[in-house]
Amino acid sequence: MVNKLIVSNILYRPVRTALSALAVAMEVAMVMLFVGLAHGLVNDSAHRQEGVGADVMVQPSGSSFLLAFSQSPMPLTIGGRLEQVPHVLAVAPTLILFNTGALSMVYGIDMDSFNRVSGGFAYHAGGPFTKPYNLLVDDLYAKSKHIKVGQTVDLLNHQFTVSGIVEHGKGARLFIPLPTAEDLLQVKDRATIFWVKCTEPAYTDKVVGAIRQLLPQCQVTAVKEWMSLMTSNNLPGLNVFTTVIIVIAVGIGFLVIFLSMYTTITERTREIGILKSLGASKGYIIAVILREASLLSAVGILAGYGVALITRKLILANFPTLVIELTMLWAGYAAVLAIAGSLLGAFYPAMRAAQLDPVDALAYE
Amino acid sequence: MEPIIETHGLKKIYHVGKVEVEALRGVDCIIHEGEFVAVVGPSGCGKSTFLHILGGLTGPTSGRVLVDGNDFTHMSDADRTRFRRHKIGFVFQRFNLLPTLTARNNIAIAQHIQGNGFNPHRFQAVVEMLGIQAKLDHRPYALSGGEQQRVAIARAVICDPKLLLADEPTGNLDTENSQTVLNMIRGLNKTFGQTVLMITHNPEAAAVADRTIHMRDGRIISD
Repeated sequence: MVNKLIVSNILYRPVRTALSALAVAMEVAMVMLFVGLAHGLVNDSAHRQEGVGADVMVQPSGSSFLLAFSQSPMPLTIGGRLEQVPHVLAVAPTLILFNTGALSMVYGIDMDSFNRVSGGFAYHAGGPFTKPYNLLVDDLYAKSKHIKVGQTVDLLNHQFTVSGIVEHGKGARLFIPLPTAEDLLQVKDRATIFWVKCTEPAYTDKVVGAIRQLLPQCQVTAVKEWMSLMTSNNLPGLNVFTTVIIVIAVGIGFLVIFLSMYTTITERTREIGILKSLGASKGYIIAVILREASLLSAVGILAGYGVALITRKLILANFPTLVIELTMLWAGYAAVLAIAGSLLGAFYPAMRAAQLDPVDALAYE
Repeated sequence: MEPIIETHGLKKIYHVGKVEVEALRGVDCIIHEGEFVAVVGPSGCGKSTFLHILGGLTGPTSGRVLVDGNDFTHMSDADRTRFRRHKIGFVFQRFNLLPTLTARNNIAIAQHIQGNGFNPHRFQAVVEMLGIQAKLDHRPYALSGGEQQRVAIARAVICDPKLLLADEPTGNLDTENSQTVLNMIRGLNKTFGQTVLMITHNPEAAAVADRTIHMRDGRIISD
């Protein structure tokens, strides 16, 4: 019977119901999309570095695990010493530049050594560099920017000609020849990172140990270990940003449900008086209002899942390089947050309704 | 017959801003089980306040009220609510049906609040007696005033209360519907021995009752 009362109340005021559910939907979609985007970008970046195919990374000491922020390039001669370490199959020096225009990394690579470590690029169109200011772009970047082979692209304040479009997943989305990267950074024979491939992955720990002995001034990290560090929890500020977004989203849901239930209580004062005249207890009145808020939330949550899925599709269609991971875990968290926010928002109006004097409520016009 | 209502020196003072309004100034009254009593008097004489106190909607300022042997004077709001749920039925001048529910659910919700679940036999008997079978799936806005009041009466008696309190039940009805509603209340009293206390302005309505109490300025002036 209470369910009938709640459903009929919700259907009786369709605009209020739609607006309340929409606010909860926005809250759920906002949480899922922002968290999904943060996790997606971090995980995508990590998987792309893993896709280089190396087992060990050698960087200058004190380097950030965020490769884009790596500084103080090392001499290229280190590469020759690394190749002498037992169980090392190949070493690829890479100079990393940060493309501020697109907030992305550009890898300056030595094509031969990079191919030995990575197994080579898979070309969708075109081929390797033939000139110093040639550029390789991955297929997702090419799709998002509508880039074709032979086209000229402005990058790092220079004009590059696209020589090839390659399959994504090999570190960066943009690649230029290593000497060109050195020219742009005004350094000579330097690399930001050395990718080291072992003869067998099982030798990784041995190789890491040997390199640490050989180059104690360098930071030597197994790629697997680096992957475990590349989570959104370890990114400075990202957790705070995500938390702020979640708090804002839950706050919106809370306020809208609060206002909606508060106005509905005022509007339904007489009906509450009727329930009280029938002997409804304070608990009964509170339960009716909280259940109504929960039902509004449930509708909003389902709509929110739909909004999140559609928005993700629209974003990815327009920005293919973005990655948004919508997970069941965060769908669950978003639902719990929405329900909790709604119950919290409905609690004060529910208490107020329960406290109404039945005589005053029945006389309410 | 046992007394179902006893009041002794019943007083009620309302505070309107800093002004004290004495709605009841010492009401002494005994009503027995099975009686049909009309309370008449001019507006503001305290008859609605008297009914609200008897129904446990509000407490007295002083004096004693016993309803079915239960002393309201020392009862908490929650206890009065529980008592009302099981022992009191209300009929109001403005019908006071829940606008979002059908007539059927407006009646059934009283059984739900009482907590004994839906009783189909009692439900059927009451709706047949009040002649509202054909209107059960209509919402209040689709019912005439007389039909709404009959649904309200059904809701009031569905849980078989010891006491039916009617606050100007014919105040919003035309003559024909007023007569129908009064006949139904009278029928409940005669057929089932339902104790009824009815407030009215209308002398014709009061004439239907077995006993008439006159009130003025918060006191009973004749019985």
